[in-house]
Amino acid sequence: MRGYYKKWFWPLALPGLILFAAVVLVPFLIGLLYSFTAWRGTYFVGGSVWTSFVGLDNYARIFQSRQFVHALVYTLQFTAIAVVVVSVAALLLALMLDFAGKRVGAFRTIFFLPNLLGGLALGFVWQFIFQNVFTLLFGENGLNIPFLTNMTQDTTKNLFALVIMVTWQMAGYMMIIFVAGLNNIPRDLYEAGALDGAGGWKRFRYITLPMLMPSVTIVLFLTLAGCLKLLDQNVALTNGSFNTSMLSLQILRTVRYTQPPDYGQAQAQAVVFFVLVAIIGLAQVYITKKKEVDA
Amino acid sequence: MTRAAATTAAGRSSLKLRPGKIAVFLILIISALTTLFPLLFLFVNSFKDQGAIVAEPMALPRSWSAAYVSDAMRQIHFGQAVFITAGITVLSVALIVFCASMLSWMLVRNDSPASRIVLLGLTAAMLVPFQSVMYPLIHEFETLGLKNLPGLILMYGGFGLGMSVFLYHGFFRGVPLALEEAALIDGSGILGLFFKVVFPLVKPITVTVIILNSLWIWNDYLLPFLVLGNAEYKTLTLELYYAKMLSGQFSNPWELIFPAVLVSIIPIIVLYLFLQKYFIKGVTEGAVK
Repeated sequence: MRGYYKKWFWPLALPGLILFAAVVLVPFLIGLLYSFTAWRGTYFVGGSVWTSFVGLDNYARIFQSRQFVHALVYTLQFTAIAVVVVSVAALLLALMLDFAGKRVGAFRTIFFLPNLLGGLALGFVWQFIFQNVFTLLFGENGLNIPFLTNMTQDTTKNLFALVIMVTWQMAGYMMIIFVAGLNNIPRDLYEAGALDGAGGWKRFRYITLPMLMPSVTIVLFLTLAGCLKLLDQNVALTNGSFNTSMLSLQILRTVRYTQPPDYGQAQAQAVVFFVLVAIIGLAQVYITKKKEVDA
Repeated sequence: MTRAAATTAAGRSSLKLRPGKIAVFLILIISALTTLFPLLFLFVNSFKDQGAIVAEPMALPRSWSAAYVSDAMRQIHFGQAVFITAGITVLSVALIVFCASMLSWMLVRNDSPASRIVLLGLTAAMLVPFQSVMYPLIHEFETLGLKNLPGLILMYGGFGLGMSVFLYHGFFRGVPLALEEAALIDGSGILGLFFKVVFPLVKPITVTVIILNSLWIWNDYLLPFLVLGNAEYKTLTLELYYAKMLSGQFSNPWELIFPAVLVSIIPIIVLYLFLQKYFIKGVTEGAVK
Protein backbone atom coordinates (compact mmCIF):
# COMPACT_ATOMS: atom_id res chain seq x y z
CA MET A 1 0.00 0.00 0.00
CA ARG A 2 2.66 2.50 1.00
CA GLY A 3 4.57 1.75 -2.16
CA TYR A 4 1.46 2.36 -4.21
CA TYR A 5 0.92 5.85 -2.73
CA LYS A 6 4.62 6.61 -3.02
CA LYS A 7 4.54 5.88 -6.72
CA TRP A 8 1.75 8.43 -7.20
CA PHE A 9 3.10 11.11 -4.87
CA TRP A 10 4.78 13.32 -7.46
CA PRO A 11 2.11 13.24 -10.18
CA LEU A 12 -0.65 14.21 -7.74
CA ALA A 13 1.26 16.55 -5.45
CA LEU A 14 3.16 18.42 -8.12
CA PRO A 15 0.43 20.81 -9.37
CA GLY A 16 -0.08 22.16 -5.87
CA LEU A 17 3.61 22.30 -5.08
CA ILE A 18 4.46 24.17 -8.30
CA LEU A 19 1.65 26.65 -7.76
CA PHE A 20 2.73 27.29 -4.19
CA ALA A 21 6.38 27.69 -5.14
CA ALA A 22 5.61 30.06 -8.02
CA VAL A 23 3.15 32.28 -6.16
CA VAL A 24 4.35 32.30 -2.56
CA LEU A 25 7.70 30.66 -1.88
CA VAL A 26 9.84 32.03 -4.74
CA PRO A 27 8.49 35.62 -4.55
CA PHE A 28 8.97 35.54 -0.78
CA LEU A 29 12.63 34.51 -1.07
CA ILE A 30 13.27 36.91 -3.95
CA GLY A 31 11.66 39.66 -1.91
CA LEU A 32 13.97 38.91 0.98
CA LEU A 33 16.96 39.18 -1.36
CA TYR A 34 15.73 42.37 -3.06
CA SER A 35 15.17 44.09 0.27
CA PHE A 36 18.97 44.36 0.50
CA THR A 37 19.35 45.94 -2.95
CA ALA A 38 18.70 49.25 -4.67
CA TRP A 39 15.78 47.82 -6.63
CA ARG A 40 13.79 50.34 -8.63
CA GLY A 41 11.09 48.01 -10.00
CA THR A 42 12.20 47.88 -13.63
CA TYR A 43 15.96 47.96 -13.03
CA PHE A 44 18.65 47.73 -10.38
CA VAL A 45 20.92 50.66 -9.59
CA GLY A 46 24.35 49.46 -10.65
CA GLY A 47 23.13 47.08 -13.36
CA SER A 48 22.18 43.75 -11.81
CA VAL A 49 20.94 42.33 -8.52
CA TRP A 50 24.43 41.30 -7.51
CA THR A 51 26.03 44.70 -8.09
CA SER A 52 23.27 46.72 -6.41
CA PHE A 53 23.62 45.34 -2.89
CA VAL A 54 23.29 48.06 -0.30
CA GLY A 55 23.51 45.90 2.83
CA LEU A 56 21.16 47.06 5.55
CA ASP A 57 20.72 50.51 4.01
CA ASN A 58 17.04 50.06 3.15
CA TYR A 59 16.30 48.87 6.67
CA ALA A 60 18.19 51.77 8.21
CA ARG A 61 16.29 54.22 6.03
CA ILE A 62 12.82 52.89 6.76
CA PHE A 63 13.31 53.33 10.49
CA GLN A 64 14.41 56.91 9.85
CA SER A 65 11.36 57.47 7.67
CA ARG A 66 8.77 59.30 9.71
CA GLN A 67 5.91 58.05 7.56
CA PHE A 68 6.89 54.41 8.04
CA VAL A 69 7.38 54.67 11.78
CA HIS A 70 4.08 56.52 12.05
CA ALA A 71 2.30 53.85 10.00
CA LEU A 72 3.85 51.16 12.21
CA VAL A 73 2.72 52.82 15.44
CA TYR A 74 -0.68 53.66 13.96
CA THR A 75 -1.20 50.03 12.93
CA LEU A 76 -0.27 48.75 16.38
CA GLN A 77 -2.52 51.27 18.13
CA PHE A 78 -5.41 50.46 15.85
CA THR A 79 -4.87 46.71 16.27
CA ALA A 80 -4.70 46.90 20.06
CA ILE A 81 -7.98 48.82 20.30
CA ALA A 82 -9.82 46.99 17.52
CA VAL A 83 -8.97 43.50 18.78
CA VAL A 84 -10.37 44.28 22.22
CA VAL A 85 -13.49 46.03 20.91
CA VAL A 86 -14.28 43.35 18.31
CA SER A 87 -13.74 40.44 20.71
CA VAL A 88 -15.75 41.97 23.53
CA ALA A 89 -18.60 42.98 21.20
CA ALA A 90 -18.60 39.49 19.67
CA LEU A 91 -18.60 37.80 23.07
CA LEU A 92 -21.48 39.97 24.34
CA LEU A 93 -23.52 39.22 21.23
CA ALA A 94 -22.81 35.51 21.57
CA LEU A 95 -23.77 35.47 25.28
CA MET A 96 -26.98 37.35 24.52
CA LEU A 97 -27.91 34.94 21.73
CA ASP A 98 -27.13 32.03 24.03
CA PHE A 99 -29.29 33.54 26.77
CA ALA A 100 -32.14 34.42 24.43
CA GLY A 101 -32.67 30.78 23.56
CA LYS A 102 -33.65 29.06 20.36
CA ARG A 103 -35.40 31.49 18.04
CA VAL A 104 -32.45 33.73 17.27
CA GLY A 105 -31.63 32.62 13.72
CA ALA A 106 -32.61 35.98 12.24
CA PHE A 107 -30.23 37.84 14.57
CA ARG A 108 -27.38 35.53 13.66
CA THR A 109 -28.08 36.07 9.98
CA ILE A 110 -28.07 39.86 10.35
CA PHE A 111 -24.96 40.12 12.54
CA PHE A 112 -22.94 37.94 10.20
CA LEU A 113 -24.02 39.73 7.02
CA PRO A 114 -21.50 42.65 6.99
CA ASN A 115 -18.65 40.16 7.02
CA LEU A 116 -19.59 39.01 3.53
CA LEU A 117 -19.44 42.45 1.98
CA GLY A 118 -16.31 44.02 0.57
CA GLY A 119 -14.32 46.36 2.80
CA LEU A 120 -13.74 48.75 -0.08
CA ALA A 121 -17.36 48.96 -1.28
CA LEU A 122 -18.82 49.38 2.20
CA GLY A 123 -15.92 51.64 3.15
CA PHE A 124 -17.21 54.19 0.66
CA VAL A 125 -20.63 54.08 2.31
CA TRP A 126 -19.08 54.43 5.78
CA GLN A 127 -16.95 57.33 4.59
CA PHE A 128 -20.14 59.20 3.73
CA ILE A 129 -21.75 58.20 7.02
CA PHE A 130 -18.79 59.45 9.06
CA GLN A 131 -18.45 62.57 6.96
CA ASN A 132 -22.08 63.63 6.59
CA VAL A 133 -24.43 61.65 8.82
CA PHE A 134 -22.22 61.64 11.95
CA THR A 135 -21.36 65.29 11.45
CA LEU A 136 -25.06 66.08 11.16
CA LEU A 137 -26.04 63.99 14.19
CA PHE A 138 -23.16 64.93 16.48
CA GLY A 139 -22.47 68.46 15.20
CA GLU A 140 -23.26 71.74 16.91
CA ASN A 141 -26.91 71.54 15.93
CA GLY A 142 -27.17 67.95 17.09
CA LEU A 143 -25.79 66.18 20.13
CA ASN A 144 -22.65 68.32 20.04
CA ILE A 145 -19.98 65.63 20.40
CA PRO A 146 -17.10 67.13 18.38
CA PHE A 147 -15.10 63.89 18.55
CA LEU A 148 -17.66 62.12 16.36
CA THR A 149 -17.73 64.79 13.65
CA ASN A 150 -15.53 64.78 10.54
CA MET A 151 -13.93 61.57 11.76
CA THR A 152 -12.16 60.85 8.50
CA GLN A 153 -10.26 64.15 8.52
CA ASP A 154 -8.11 63.64 11.57
CA THR A 155 -5.43 61.10 12.46
CA THR A 156 -6.79 60.10 15.87
CA LYS A 157 -10.49 60.34 15.04
CA ASN A 158 -9.96 58.23 11.94
CA LEU A 159 -8.40 55.50 14.07
CA PHE A 160 -11.72 55.20 15.89
CA ALA A 161 -13.69 55.47 12.66
CA LEU A 162 -11.72 52.43 11.47
CA VAL A 163 -12.43 50.65 14.76
CA ILE A 164 -16.18 51.30 14.37
CA MET A 165 -16.23 50.04 10.80
CA VAL A 166 -14.10 46.96 11.50
CA THR A 167 -16.22 46.06 14.52
CA TRP A 168 -19.30 46.33 12.34
CA GLN A 169 -17.72 43.95 9.82
CA MET A 170 -15.96 41.42 12.05
CA ALA A 171 -17.99 41.16 15.25
CA GLY A 172 -20.68 38.95 13.67
CA TYR A 173 -18.10 36.50 12.36
CA MET A 174 -16.36 36.22 15.73
CA MET A 175 -19.76 35.94 17.40
CA ILE A 176 -20.44 32.78 15.39
CA ILE A 177 -17.20 31.24 16.60
CA PHE A 178 -18.08 32.09 20.22
CA VAL A 179 -21.60 30.68 19.78
CA ALA A 180 -20.09 27.39 18.54
CA GLY A 181 -17.82 27.40 21.59
CA LEU A 182 -20.68 28.09 23.99
CA ASN A 183 -22.68 25.21 22.51
CA ASN A 184 -19.81 22.87 23.36
CA ILE A 185 -19.96 23.62 27.08
CA PRO A 186 -21.83 20.81 28.85
CA ARG A 187 -24.96 22.13 30.58
CA ASP A 188 -24.45 20.04 33.71
CA LEU A 189 -21.38 22.13 34.54
CA TYR A 190 -23.72 25.09 35.06
CA GLU A 191 -26.11 22.98 37.11
CA ALA A 192 -23.24 21.86 39.31
CA GLY A 193 -22.11 25.48 39.62
CA ALA A 194 -25.62 26.60 40.55
CA LEU A 195 -25.83 23.86 43.21
CA ASP A 196 -22.55 25.09 44.68
CA GLY A 197 -24.15 28.51 44.92
CA ALA A 198 -22.18 30.23 42.14
CA GLY A 199 -23.97 33.35 40.89
CA GLY A 200 -24.15 34.60 37.31
CA TRP A 201 -20.79 36.37 37.30
CA LYS A 202 -18.99 33.54 39.08
CA ARG A 203 -20.45 30.99 36.66
CA PHE A 204 -19.22 33.13 33.76
CA ARG A 205 -15.77 33.66 35.28
CA TYR A 206 -15.11 30.10 36.43
CA ILE A 207 -17.08 27.98 33.96
CA THR A 208 -17.87 29.83 30.73
CA LEU A 209 -14.60 31.70 30.25
CA PRO A 210 -12.19 28.79 30.89
CA MET A 211 -14.28 26.46 28.72
CA LEU A 212 -14.36 29.09 26.00
CA MET A 213 -10.57 29.49 25.76
CA PRO A 214 -10.20 27.48 22.50
CA SER A 215 -12.65 29.90 20.84
CA VAL A 216 -10.78 32.85 22.33
CA THR A 217 -7.55 31.61 20.72
CA ILE A 218 -9.19 31.47 17.30
CA VAL A 219 -10.97 34.79 17.64
CA LEU A 220 -7.82 36.59 18.77
CA PHE A 221 -5.80 35.02 15.96
CA LEU A 222 -8.30 35.99 13.27
CA THR A 223 -8.87 39.53 14.54
CA LEU A 224 -5.16 40.18 15.09
CA ALA A 225 -4.26 39.01 11.59
CA GLY A 226 -7.20 40.87 10.04
CA CYS A 227 -6.41 44.14 11.83
CA LEU A 228 -2.65 44.10 11.28
CA LYS A 229 -3.13 43.51 7.55
CA LEU A 230 -6.11 45.86 7.13
CA LEU A 231 -6.06 47.66 3.79
CA ASP A 232 -9.40 48.05 1.98
CA GLN A 233 -11.12 50.01 4.75
CA ASN A 234 -8.07 52.24 5.10
CA VAL A 235 -8.12 52.97 1.36
CA ALA A 236 -11.85 53.64 1.32
CA LEU A 237 -12.05 55.95 4.34
CA THR A 238 -9.04 58.22 3.81
CA ASN A 239 -6.64 56.59 1.33
CA GLY A 240 -3.90 57.67 3.72
CA SER A 241 -4.66 61.41 3.87
CA PHE A 242 -4.29 63.19 7.22
CA ASN A 243 -1.49 60.83 8.21
CA THR A 244 -3.72 57.79 8.45
CA SER A 245 -1.80 55.14 6.46
CA MET A 246 -1.55 51.78 8.10
CA LEU A 247 1.35 49.49 7.16
CA SER A 248 -0.33 47.75 4.21
CA LEU A 249 -1.16 51.06 2.59
CA GLN A 250 2.20 52.62 3.49
CA ILE A 251 4.03 49.89 1.54
CA LEU A 252 1.93 50.75 -1.52
CA ARG A 253 2.44 54.47 -1.06
CA THR A 254 6.22 54.22 -0.67
CA VAL A 255 6.48 53.18 -4.29
CA ARG A 256 4.04 55.82 -5.47
CA TYR A 257 5.69 58.71 -3.66
CA THR A 258 9.36 58.08 -4.44
CA GLN A 259 11.05 59.01 -7.71
CA PRO A 260 12.28 56.72 -9.20
CA PRO A 261 10.02 54.27 -7.32
CA ASP A 262 12.06 52.86 -4.46
CA TYR A 263 11.01 49.22 -4.57
CA GLY A 264 14.03 48.19 -2.48
CA GLN A 265 12.83 50.27 0.43
CA ALA A 266 9.21 49.17 0.01
CA GLN A 267 10.39 45.56 0.04
CA ALA A 268 12.34 46.13 3.26
CA GLN A 269 9.15 47.55 4.78
CA ALA A 270 7.32 44.46 3.59
CA VAL A 271 9.86 42.17 5.27
CA VAL A 272 9.58 44.08 8.54
CA PHE A 273 5.79 43.82 8.20
CA PHE A 274 6.04 40.05 7.78
CA VAL A 275 8.29 39.68 10.82
CA LEU A 276 5.87 41.76 12.89
CA VAL A 277 2.81 39.75 11.83
CA ALA A 278 4.60 36.43 12.33
CA ILE A 279 5.93 37.31 15.80
CA ILE A 280 2.62 38.71 17.07
CA GLY A 281 0.63 35.82 15.55
CA LEU A 282 2.88 33.09 16.95
CA ALA A 283 3.20 34.73 20.37
CA GLN A 284 -0.57 35.05 20.66
CA VAL A 285 -1.22 31.42 19.72
CA TYR A 286 1.51 30.28 22.14
CA ILE A 287 0.16 32.32 25.05
CA THR A 288 -3.52 31.47 24.63
CA LYS A 289 -2.76 27.78 23.98
CA LYS A 290 -0.93 27.72 27.29
CA LYS A 291 -3.98 29.28 28.96
CA GLU A 292 -6.18 26.56 27.42
CA VAL A 293 -4.06 23.85 29.02
CA ASP A 294 -4.01 25.59 32.40
CA ALA A 295 -7.75 26.14 32.40
CA MET B 1 -50.80 17.96 41.58
CA THR B 2 -53.73 19.50 39.76
CA ARG B 3 -53.49 20.97 36.35
CA ALA B 4 -54.22 24.45 37.73
CA ALA B 5 -51.26 24.27 40.10
CA ALA B 6 -48.99 23.13 37.29
CA THR B 7 -49.99 26.04 35.05
CA THR B 8 -49.42 28.57 37.81
CA ALA B 9 -45.97 27.16 38.46
CA ALA B 10 -45.12 27.31 34.79
CA GLY B 11 -46.55 30.80 34.53
CA ARG B 12 -44.53 31.99 37.50
CA SER B 13 -41.25 30.65 36.15
CA SER B 14 -41.75 32.30 32.76
CA LEU B 15 -42.72 35.52 34.56
CA LYS B 16 -39.53 35.37 36.53
CA LEU B 17 -37.52 35.08 33.33
CA ARG B 18 -39.30 37.82 31.51
CA PRO B 19 -37.62 41.11 32.48
CA GLY B 20 -34.15 39.75 31.73
CA LYS B 21 -35.22 38.17 28.46
CA ILE B 22 -37.04 41.27 27.32
CA ALA B 23 -34.01 43.43 28.06
CA VAL B 24 -31.74 41.08 26.13
CA PHE B 25 -34.12 40.95 23.18
CA LEU B 26 -34.32 44.74 23.18
CA ILE B 27 -30.53 45.06 23.09
CA LEU B 28 -30.36 42.44 20.35
CA ILE B 29 -32.96 44.30 18.28
CA ILE B 30 -31.12 47.60 18.70
CA SER B 31 -27.81 45.93 17.74
CA ALA B 32 -29.43 44.34 14.70
CA LEU B 33 -30.85 47.66 13.57
CA THR B 34 -27.46 49.32 14.06
CA THR B 35 -25.88 46.55 12.01
CA LEU B 36 -28.42 47.01 9.24
CA PHE B 37 -28.29 50.81 9.32
CA PRO B 38 -25.45 51.31 6.78
CA LEU B 39 -27.20 48.93 4.38
CA LEU B 40 -30.62 50.58 4.77
CA PHE B 41 -28.90 53.93 4.41
CA LEU B 42 -27.22 52.72 1.23
CA PHE B 43 -30.50 51.44 -0.15
CA VAL B 44 -32.45 54.63 0.53
CA ASN B 45 -29.76 56.86 -0.94
CA SER B 46 -29.44 54.82 -4.12
CA PHE B 47 -32.63 56.46 -5.37
CA LYS B 48 -31.70 60.11 -4.82
CA ASP B 49 -29.76 62.73 -6.72
CA GLN B 50 -26.52 64.20 -5.41
CA GLY B 51 -28.22 67.26 -3.94
CA ALA B 52 -30.81 65.25 -1.99
CA ILE B 53 -28.18 62.81 -0.71
CA VAL B 54 -26.03 65.57 0.74
CA ALA B 55 -28.84 67.79 1.99
CA GLU B 56 -31.03 65.15 3.64
CA PRO B 57 -29.08 61.90 3.88
CA MET B 58 -31.60 60.34 6.26
CA ALA B 59 -34.76 61.18 4.32
CA LEU B 60 -36.62 58.76 2.09
CA PRO B 61 -36.32 59.45 -1.64
CA ARG B 62 -39.04 61.54 -3.27
CA SER B 63 -39.56 58.86 -5.89
CA TRP B 64 -38.29 55.32 -6.22
CA SER B 65 -37.07 55.77 -9.76
CA ALA B 66 -34.43 53.27 -10.84
CA ALA B 67 -32.69 55.85 -13.00
CA TYR B 68 -29.61 56.16 -10.77
CA VAL B 69 -29.35 52.41 -10.36
CA SER B 70 -29.47 51.72 -14.08
CA ASP B 71 -27.08 54.61 -14.73
CA ALA B 72 -24.61 53.22 -12.21
CA MET B 73 -24.92 49.73 -13.68
CA ARG B 74 -23.98 51.11 -17.06
CA GLN B 75 -21.05 53.13 -15.72
CA ILE B 76 -19.46 50.25 -13.84
CA HIS B 77 -20.19 47.80 -16.70
CA PHE B 78 -22.17 45.75 -14.23
CA GLY B 79 -22.95 42.71 -16.40
CA GLN B 80 -19.39 42.38 -17.64
CA ALA B 81 -17.88 42.99 -14.21
CA VAL B 82 -20.10 40.37 -12.55
CA PHE B 83 -19.21 37.89 -15.28
CA ILE B 84 -15.48 38.54 -14.89
CA THR B 85 -15.56 38.47 -11.08
CA ALA B 86 -17.64 35.29 -11.02
CA GLY B 87 -15.37 33.69 -13.64
CA ILE B 88 -12.22 34.53 -11.70
CA THR B 89 -13.76 33.32 -8.44
CA VAL B 90 -15.07 30.03 -9.84
CA LEU B 91 -11.88 29.14 -11.73
CA SER B 92 -9.58 30.12 -8.85
CA VAL B 93 -11.60 28.17 -6.32
CA ALA B 94 -11.74 25.14 -8.63
CA LEU B 95 -7.96 25.33 -8.99
CA ILE B 96 -7.54 25.58 -5.21
CA VAL B 97 -9.87 22.66 -4.49
CA PHE B 98 -8.22 20.48 -7.13
CA CYS B 99 -4.62 21.15 -6.13
CA ALA B 100 -5.13 21.35 -2.37
CA SER B 101 -7.20 18.17 -2.04
CA MET B 102 -4.80 15.99 -4.04
CA LEU B 103 -1.73 17.49 -2.41
CA SER B 104 -3.11 16.99 1.10
CA TRP B 105 -4.20 13.45 0.34
CA MET B 106 -0.72 12.56 -0.86
CA LEU B 107 0.86 14.27 2.17
CA VAL B 108 -1.32 12.23 4.53
CA ARG B 109 -0.77 8.92 2.73
CA ASN B 110 2.99 9.45 2.42
CA ASP B 111 3.68 10.55 5.96
CA SER B 112 7.40 11.24 6.34
CA PRO B 113 9.66 14.00 7.75
CA ALA B 114 9.78 15.53 4.26
CA SER B 115 6.01 15.69 3.88
CA ARG B 116 5.70 17.16 7.36
CA ILE B 117 8.10 19.93 6.37
CA VAL B 118 6.00 20.64 3.26
CA LEU B 119 2.88 20.86 5.41
CA LEU B 120 4.64 23.17 7.88
CA GLY B 121 5.76 25.43 5.02
CA LEU B 122 2.24 25.63 3.61
CA THR B 123 0.75 26.34 7.04
CA ALA B 124 3.37 28.98 7.84
CA ALA B 125 2.47 30.73 4.57
CA MET B 126 -0.83 31.71 6.20
CA LEU B 127 1.18 34.17 8.28
CA VAL B 128 2.82 35.83 5.26
CA PRO B 129 1.07 39.12 4.50
CA PHE B 130 0.34 39.63 0.83
CA GLN B 131 2.48 42.80 0.87
CA SER B 132 5.59 40.75 1.59
CA VAL B 133 5.43 38.95 -1.73
CA MET B 134 3.44 41.24 -4.01
CA TYR B 135 6.19 43.25 -5.76
CA PRO B 136 8.43 40.28 -6.63
CA LEU B 137 5.32 38.27 -7.54
CA ILE B 138 4.00 40.85 -10.00
CA HIS B 139 7.51 41.23 -11.41
CA GLU B 140 7.85 37.45 -11.84
CA PHE B 141 4.45 37.04 -13.49
CA GLU B 142 5.09 40.00 -15.78
CA THR B 143 8.31 38.33 -16.96
CA LEU B 144 6.33 35.15 -17.63
CA GLY B 145 3.74 37.10 -19.64
CA LEU B 146 1.10 36.40 -17.00
CA LYS B 147 0.17 39.89 -15.79
CA ASN B 148 -3.39 39.28 -16.97
CA LEU B 149 -6.61 37.41 -16.11
CA PRO B 150 -5.15 33.86 -16.34
CA GLY B 151 -2.21 35.00 -14.21
CA LEU B 152 -4.60 36.45 -11.65
CA ILE B 153 -6.35 33.08 -11.36
CA LEU B 154 -3.03 31.30 -10.84
CA MET B 155 -2.07 33.79 -8.13
CA TYR B 156 -5.32 33.22 -6.27
CA GLY B 157 -4.70 29.49 -6.65
CA GLY B 158 -1.31 29.83 -4.97
CA PHE B 159 -2.50 32.10 -2.18
CA GLY B 160 -5.50 29.95 -1.34
CA LEU B 161 -3.40 26.79 -0.98
CA GLY B 162 -1.96 27.32 2.51
CA MET B 163 -5.21 27.48 4.42
CA SER B 164 -6.95 24.92 2.17
CA VAL B 165 -4.22 22.28 2.50
CA PHE B 166 -4.28 22.85 6.25
CA LEU B 167 -8.04 22.18 6.35
CA TYR B 168 -7.95 19.18 4.00
CA HIS B 169 -4.97 17.63 5.75
CA GLY B 170 -6.80 17.58 9.07
CA PHE B 171 -9.78 15.92 7.42
CA PHE B 172 -7.94 13.30 5.35
CA ARG B 173 -6.28 11.95 8.46
CA GLY B 174 -9.70 10.74 9.55
CA VAL B 175 -10.39 8.82 6.30
CA PRO B 176 -9.81 5.10 6.97
CA LEU B 177 -7.21 3.44 4.77
CA ALA B 178 -9.26 0.22 4.59
CA LEU B 179 -11.86 1.96 2.42
CA GLU B 180 -9.23 2.89 -0.14
CA GLU B 181 -7.70 -0.59 -0.08
CA ALA B 182 -11.08 -2.12 -0.82
CA ALA B 183 -11.54 0.16 -3.83
CA LEU B 184 -8.07 -0.72 -5.10
CA ILE B 185 -8.79 -4.44 -4.81
CA ASP B 186 -11.94 -3.81 -6.85
CA GLY B 187 -9.59 -2.65 -9.58
CA SER B 188 -9.91 1.12 -9.45
CA GLY B 189 -7.10 3.32 -10.75
CA ILE B 190 -5.61 6.17 -8.79
CA LEU B 191 -7.85 8.82 -10.33
CA GLY B 192 -10.94 6.66 -9.95
CA LEU B 193 -9.97 6.03 -6.37
CA PHE B 194 -9.53 9.70 -5.68
CA PHE B 195 -12.59 11.11 -7.45
CA LYS B 196 -15.05 8.28 -6.79
CA VAL B 197 -14.07 7.24 -3.26
CA VAL B 198 -11.89 9.76 -1.44
CA PHE B 199 -13.15 13.11 -2.71
CA PRO B 200 -16.85 12.45 -1.92
CA LEU B 201 -15.86 11.51 1.63
CA VAL B 202 -14.36 14.93 2.32
CA LYS B 203 -17.27 16.91 0.92
CA PRO B 204 -17.95 18.86 4.16
CA ILE B 205 -14.47 20.33 4.19
CA THR B 206 -14.68 21.04 0.45
CA VAL B 207 -17.72 23.21 1.15
CA THR B 208 -15.72 25.10 3.78
CA VAL B 209 -12.78 25.57 1.42
CA ILE B 210 -15.08 26.82 -1.35
CA ILE B 211 -16.87 29.33 0.88
CA LEU B 212 -13.82 30.73 2.63
CA ASN B 213 -11.89 31.20 -0.60
CA SER B 214 -14.82 32.55 -2.64
CA LEU B 215 -15.49 35.26 -0.08
CA TRP B 216 -12.08 36.86 -0.15
CA ILE B 217 -11.51 36.39 -3.87
CA TRP B 218 -14.88 37.94 -4.78
CA ASN B 219 -14.27 41.01 -2.62
CA ASP B 220 -10.52 41.34 -3.12
CA TYR B 221 -9.28 44.74 -4.19
CA LEU B 222 -5.48 44.79 -4.12
CA LEU B 223 -4.52 41.86 -6.34
CA PRO B 224 -6.79 42.84 -9.27
CA PHE B 225 -5.62 46.43 -8.78
CA LEU B 226 -1.97 45.41 -9.13
CA VAL B 227 -2.47 42.88 -11.93
CA LEU B 228 -5.24 44.41 -14.05
CA GLY B 229 -5.17 48.07 -13.01
CA ASN B 230 -7.29 50.33 -15.16
CA ALA B 231 -7.54 47.77 -17.95
CA GLU B 232 -10.65 47.18 -20.05
CA TYR B 233 -11.72 44.10 -18.12
CA LYS B 234 -12.12 44.84 -14.43
CA THR B 235 -13.57 43.02 -11.44
CA LEU B 236 -16.55 44.47 -9.62
CA THR B 237 -14.48 45.84 -6.74
CA LEU B 238 -12.02 47.38 -9.17
CA GLU B 239 -14.83 49.07 -11.13
CA LEU B 240 -16.09 50.58 -7.88
CA TYR B 241 -12.62 51.75 -6.96
CA TYR B 242 -12.10 53.55 -10.25
CA ALA B 243 -15.63 54.95 -10.27
CA LYS B 244 -14.91 56.53 -6.89
CA MET B 245 -11.31 57.60 -7.45
CA LEU B 246 -11.75 59.07 -10.92
CA SER B 247 -14.91 60.94 -10.02
CA GLY B 248 -13.36 62.25 -6.83
CA GLN B 249 -11.33 64.67 -8.91
CA PHE B 250 -14.17 67.06 -9.64
CA SER B 251 -16.85 66.11 -7.14
CA ASN B 252 -18.21 63.23 -5.11
CA PRO B 253 -20.97 61.85 -7.25
CA TRP B 254 -22.63 59.83 -4.54
CA GLU B 255 -25.55 59.40 -6.89
CA LEU B 256 -23.22 57.10 -8.82
CA ILE B 257 -21.31 55.48 -5.93
CA PHE B 258 -24.28 54.47 -3.77
CA PRO B 259 -26.30 52.63 -6.43
CA ALA B 260 -23.04 51.11 -7.74
CA VAL B 261 -22.17 49.71 -4.30
CA LEU B 262 -25.76 48.55 -3.88
CA VAL B 263 -25.88 46.50 -7.07
CA SER B 264 -22.42 45.11 -6.39
CA ILE B 265 -23.40 43.63 -3.01
CA ILE B 266 -26.78 42.27 -4.09
CA PRO B 267 -25.42 39.05 -5.68
CA ILE B 268 -23.61 38.14 -2.43
CA ILE B 269 -26.61 38.94 -0.25
CA VAL B 270 -28.95 36.85 -2.40
CA LEU B 271 -26.51 33.95 -2.39
CA TYR B 272 -26.13 34.26 1.39
CA LEU B 273 -29.86 34.21 2.03
CA PHE B 274 -30.21 31.00 0.01
CA LEU B 275 -27.08 29.20 1.21
CA GLN B 276 -26.93 30.64 4.72
CA LYS B 277 -26.59 27.25 6.38
CA TYR B 278 -23.46 26.45 4.36
CA PHE B 279 -21.93 29.90 4.86
CA ILE B 280 -22.19 29.75 8.61
CA LYS B 281 -21.16 26.12 8.85
CA GLY B 282 -18.31 26.80 6.46
CA VAL B 283 -16.76 29.65 8.40
CA THR B 284 -17.28 27.95 11.76
CA GLU B 285 -15.60 24.74 10.67
CA GLY B 286 -12.82 26.66 8.99
CA ALA B 287 -12.12 28.47 12.22
CA VAL B 288 -12.49 25.58 14.64
CA LYS B 289 -10.13 23.26 12.77
